[in-house]
Amino acid sequence: MEYISPEGLRLDGRRPMEMRQLHAELGVIAKADGSATFEMGNTKVVAAVYGPREVQNRSQQLQEQALVRCEYSMATFSTGERRKRGKGDRRSTEISLVIRQTMESAILTHLLPRSQIDIFVQVLQADGGTRSACINAAALALADAGIPMRDLVASCAAGFLNNTPLLDLNYTEDSGGGPDVTVGVFPKLDKISLLQMDSKLPIDLFEKVLELATEGAKATAEYMRERLSENTRQLVSARGLLRF
Amino acid sequence: MGGVRTFPFHMSEEEQRRFAKAQERLDRLGGALPVVNVGETIQADEEAAFLRGHGTQLVDGKLVATVCGIVERVNKLISVRPLRARYNPGTGDVVVGRITEVVAPKRWKVDVNSKQDAQLMLSAVNLPGGLQRRRTADDELNMRNFFEERDLISAEVQAVHQDGSIHLHTRSLKYGKLEKGQLTQVAPYLVKRLNHHFYQLKQFGLEIIFACNGYIWISGPSEIPDKKGASSELLVNVSNVNEMHQCTGNKESTVPTEKREKICRCANALRVLNALGLLIYPESIIDTYEASLMWGTDIKDMLSGEFHVKVLEREVSKRSKSV
Amino acid sequence: MVASHPKAGAEDNRGAAAMLQSKSFVKKTRQGRLLKIVREHYLRDDIACGAVYCSICDKSTACLSDTTSPILIVDTNVVLQQIDLLENLAMSNVVILSVVLDEAKNKNLSVYNRLRTICSNPTRHFFVFANEHHKDTYIKGMVGESPNDRNDRAIRVASQWYQRHLGGSTKILLLTNDAENRKKAREEGIIAETVQAYVQALGKPELLDLVARSQVENVFKHDVEDLRPSKRKVVYAEHKAMSEITSGLRQKIYHQGKFRVNRYNPFEAYVGSESVGDEIVIKGKTDMNRAFDGDVVAVELLPQECWQDGSGKIVEDDDEEEEEVVGLVPASADDAPKNQALEGMSEKSISIGIARPTGRVIGIIKRNWRPYCGSLEPMPLPAGGGGTVHALFVAADRRIPKIRIQTRQLSNLLDKRIIVAVDSWEQTSRYPSGHYVRSIGEIGDRATESEVLLIENDINTRPFSEQVLACLPPLPWSMSAEDLRNPYRRDLRHVRVFSVDPIGCKDIDDALNCTLLPNGNFQVAVHIADVTNFVHPNTPLDEEASQRGTSVYLVERRIDMLPKPLTEDICSLRADVERLAFSVLWEMSPDADILSVEFTKSIIKSCAALSYVEAQARMDDSRLSDPLTLDLRNMNKLAKIMRRRRIESGALTLASPEVKFEIDTETHDPLDVGMYQVREANQMIEEFMLAANVSVAGHILKHFPMCSLLRRHPIPTPKMFEPLLRTAAAVGIHLDISSSKALADSLDEAQGDDPYFNKLIRILATRCMTQAVYFCSGELSPPEFHHYGLAAPLYTHFTSPIRRYADVIVHRLLAASLGLNKLPDLLRDKSLLTSISDNLNYRHRNAQMAGRASVELHTLIFFRNRPTEAEARIVKIRSNGLIVFVPKYGIEGPVYLTKKGTKEETELVSDIDGKWIIDEEHQTLLSQDGKRRYKVLERLSIYIQVVEPQPNRPKLELTLMKAC
Repeated sequence: MEYISPEGLRLDGRRPMEMRQLHAELGVIAKADGSATFEMGNTKVVAAVYGPREVQNRSQQLQEQALVRCEYSMATFSTGERRKRGKGDRRSTEISLVIRQTMESAILTHLLPRSQIDIFVQVLQADGGTRSACINAAALALADAGIPMRDLVASCAAGFLNNTPLLDLNYTEDSGGGPDVTVGVFPKLDKISLLQMDSKLPIDLFEKVLELATEGAKATAEYMRERLSENTRQLVSARGLLRF
Repeated sequence: MGGVRTFPFHMSEEEQRRFAKAQERLDRLGGALPVVNVGETIQADEEAAFLRGHGTQLVDGKLVATVCGIVERVNKLISVRPLRARYNPGTGDVVVGRITEVVAPKRWKVDVNSKQDAQLMLSAVNLPGGLQRRRTADDELNMRNFFEERDLISAEVQAVHQDGSIHLHTRSLKYGKLEKGQLTQVAPYLVKRLNHHFYQLKQFGLEIIFACNGYIWISGPSEIPDKKGASSELLVNVSNVNEMHQCTGNKESTVPTEKREKICRCANALRVLNALGLLIYPESIIDTYEASLMWGTDIKDMLSGEFHVKVLEREVSKRSKSV
Repeated sequence: MVASHPKAGAEDNRGAAAMLQSKSFVKKTRQGRLLKIVREHYLRDDIACGAVYCSICDKSTACLSDTTSPILIVDTNVVLQQIDLLENLAMSNVVILSVVLDEAKNKNLSVYNRLRTICSNPTRHFFVFANEHHKDTYIKGMVGESPNDRNDRAIRVASQWYQRHLGGSTKILLLTNDAENRKKAREEGIIAETVQAYVQALGKPELLDLVARSQVENVFKHDVEDLRPSKRKVVYAEHKAMSEITSGLRQKIYHQGKFRVNRYNPFEAYVGSESVGDEIVIKGKTDMNRAFDGDVVAVELLPQECWQDGSGKIVEDDDEEEEEVVGLVPASADDAPKNQALEGMSEKSISIGIARPTGRVIGIIKRNWRPYCGSLEPMPLPAGGGGTVHALFVAADRRIPKIRIQTRQLSNLLDKRIIVAVDSWEQTSRYPSGHYVRSIGEIGDRATESEVLLIENDINTRPFSEQVLACLPPLPWSMSAEDLRNPYRRDLRHVRVFSVDPIGCKDIDDALNCTLLPNGNFQVAVHIADVTNFVHPNTPLDEEASQRGTSVYLVERRIDMLPKPLTEDICSLRADVERLAFSVLWEMSPDADILSVEFTKSIIKSCAALSYVEAQARMDDSRLSDPLTLDLRNMNKLAKIMRRRRIESGALTLASPEVKFEIDTETHDPLDVGMYQVREANQMIEEFMLAANVSVAGHILKHFPMCSLLRRHPIPTPKMFEPLLRTAAAVGIHLDISSSKALADSLDEAQGDDPYFNKLIRILATRCMTQAVYFCSGELSPPEFHHYGLAAPLYTHFTSPIRRYADVIVHRLLAASLGLNKLPDLLRDKSLLTSISDNLNYRHRNAQMAGRASVELHTLIFFRNRPTEAEARIVKIRSNGLIVFVPKYGIEGPVYLTKKGTKEETELVSDIDGKWIIDEEHQTLLSQDGKRRYKVLERLSIYIQVVEPQPNRPKLELTLMKAC
């Protein structure tokens, strides 16, 4: 199957190094301490953060730091066919774990001992790259909740099809059987927080694809920063803080 | 549409446009503020020594923000105050909280909208029959007679310890169980820090407790005298708690309808301010309340998009006048 | 590398007509569920128009440079139907829109591939314009607009855009055969023409022949004889609509399968159907209902009483009859005619035909048309020539029906071999319609006929392109210092290495040495030309070789897989030159036990390139005792032991019916033809090659259990052995087919009264065998790796990388397993490797068929003016004749005892009237009066001559002379 035409256009008209259109919104769930939606093309994800608050299960309380919990689920209407997905299925558990670990490495948990931070992420529409969108949404939600973090976490995925590295695969390209590298970075610190890949790649190609994914993640981080700034400014001006 | 935040009320197209315009003007009036986001470097003089405050971290010798907020510089202390966060308790703050747990034998756990639940020790409450009394075993067993789970209380923050635990006390007659009123939860960072927290809005006949943790309590005028003097009734030595209750309870058993309406209107005004992200202090509440009366808005319509937009526009005009 | 995402500006337009569109449609899954698919569709502003002289667009990919001739924009139907015209060099300066390309890809993949090939060639000036993603030419389908209409509108919008964009400099012309489209285009201000009109205006009449007739314009479908429209009648049943077919398939009233025409009887076909579990027989033109060999068809079963035994009489009135051909002896079951079709024609036949499911074609799901080689049926030239006439084209492949074409050059084409492509086959037409593509050459001319058989077998004979030749190292090549210094390459130049090959062989890919070690053992080594040192993966050279798959050996020439400099010089292990090799070294005991095996790259210097004859002579000549001859004799001893051991474990030795031609050096005509002589020297070399292949197979499988390329020989089914068993039983021989060893033993015991008998039985056994095939080790389980014929659990091809691409792959696998090279990506993927092995099997098969066809061609030429008498053996009996095998020439064919079609006797055996009786059990044919009888495996004397029952269709004929 031809994923890139000889003219250099992918199935949806992007070039290999172009990302899909991004869109983020904050404060979507009023009751949550922090919340955000993140859209990468047709993939739409909503994240809600509750906390830091009292640990509900006393036995799990950590004396020195905050307990971070994460739950990932896909809405039944998120894929083409309506599917009942129990929360306990393996993929959800795996991605929950991945998001939790990524976010935990970003949050300064030692500043919030004996408390609990809950991150809930739900995929509303899945079109490839759900993992990345979830991490981005969770990062924005955490920032919205005012939870101290080392740095924002931005994530993007890249693959390799028809002998070309491709950035931000959508569902059709993801199903193409090629490798899929997801990377989560701290843009300011220039460190990698998450690195996952499925399928196989020889090492030199892997480096190229990783570099591309990292660049994509940094571009995403730029966008997230813009949106956060706007949000902060809005909040500030609403409060009329200048006067006080 | 251009905005980043979603608002929890519904607006029609027309209203959205007006809203956006009003926001824009608000933005322009705001001016430049030292706003910083997570991971951004804070302008700091490298040579001058500075003290690192909350919301910052040191990365490669540079000061980097860990939260989104405003940079505050107080002498050498540089910190970032987050715009949205859970309540950060300080000693002497007045808080309203809900009892979550009775941890016999000695304390109650209270939810105060903070990172952890606060603790109210038995030794920190006002016992009936005198201010200082040894806590007997009886008292310990009867803790529930005093405050039960799901009771609302007002208290003051006694101390905040190193590990983040919060200790409250109700060592004053103005603190204690709250009844016959409405609790409104607003964002704690919108509540302006004031000298007094107990306010009486005589024009409406309401009392408000501006708790710093965002749990605002509105009720009708109570019989409990203000802090200046203790009611003679309270000085009566009572041997048990039950009698005390009978004494301190309001004479009326139910709250009349107009009172309820007033309380509701006030609560809605609070909600509107909370939703719009405007600062909450007595004047703003009074203002909003009066505006609603002036525009003849029904209590239930106060939560509509229309009202929100009008309040925002009013705020804009207010600010532009004072600039 | 710059990663970018759509700027904020695009975001502001969210909801309005934006650079991001969304395509949504509903698809039906295989299970029948409905799925809504939503896809993003990005519009761009950086798509170039492709004109070199354009001042606005980016020119890096531009290729339209001619301002004098108009820029042609073609619509989808033109592309699908007139691809031959587009391939012609006269068509240039064409813009292919991406909407047209996508539609072509969905409708006909081979046309799409051809189009892509043209577009990627910059000298053709074809530009692909991505109109679907250009912000100015993208259109959304309107409500109520069909997809076809929307695409037509897209083509018009794009043409308009080109008009606005480049209209000042050049003329823009839209070519479409759709009248509606043309009308709308003209209304919108676009110049539109039919293909016919355009080609006519070009003034090149030969192009007009290439223009295919569209279905709409060809209303007159009729016989060649009768031109009156009133005589039009419906000849074939209508094909059912696709929706009806799919619902019928689901309900299991229709069955789907690939349509395969019987090579020996074009009016009989088989459709393999999983749902029926057996092959469905389709008999007769009406039931075949316009299906071609290779099409995917939908079949309806006939009621059971009509079921045939696959050998019933043909009830069609037809000038075509089933024929048997005289041809080469089959080398495997694939080559042999389908047995069931030919047995028991007479009603008195004792054999009871088993009724097999029979059906008729009710729809074509996927057409598999390709261009066909052949010639025109002879017909009288029309008076006052020069006009367009209808002619019938007869394909070389017997399975293809005659095709009707129109041509202006009838007189020119009548004696030529031409290529014709099929356009359509209407219900009312007896024959399909097609158009002429090009001529190959004169009929009967050896070069032409050779080319025909190469084309028909899909063999690429084009010279190697510049890019491929650029991959070769510069000549003259000699070993460099680097090669010497390479620590992985062992220097074996001091070893006495020699090679043994057929006379005149220039591409020497293997050499051997046999050295006596001090401890009494032998160091035996096989050195194979190190081709992978020069052919690197992902280079044009490698891709070309991979495509070709193998060298093709015709009688008079060889079509190389790799360019000559490599095959005959750089890689060839010629004598007295230093060459690079890949070696397998064994330490063997004098009893030919392998004590150790080692693989290494090496440098060798062959001391002698012997022929089989020379080597044999040396070994036989007891006067010679030079070191080389001693080595040869040692090797021979070892080889004999190894061979015996193999036979004991069950390897089959079947007789090869191969023939060898002696060619006149000047005319290249065959001077003599005879059976291939197999000497001891041949067997010796063969033995070591087999051993090398087995050793390598074991090694690569160990290292790459999931992706090794191996070769297997599936065990023949008992059914395949039936004809052999029957024939053997008739002469009182019992063959045990329970295992290859049992079969080998029974074959050894099968001795008859004359010395040739055993060989004959072996030749008959050969045609029961399955084909050996390449496969990927990850796809099958270890028991299936077995090679039946060699009785080896593992086998691969390693020893001939110069002429087989499979060996190149195995070289790379071996090198990777030794850590010398990285394994190329192509070999990592199981499914890719399977597709490679499928291609190799396909190429190998085609090369074999081409080789056989070439031999048949030369046989025909040999006997053309040289009718000969020869001795023959009966191998099969039929109701109206015998099938005989002529050992001297290696040919097999029918000898008719009744004159075709008339059931009369032939002249040579005249006295008896009437039919013949078949005795199946004894495989004997008895004459009515019992005086004459022909039994299988008996000797006969026959007469071979070339006859031409139809002009330009010569064929061999065998006739009976007298019984011995």
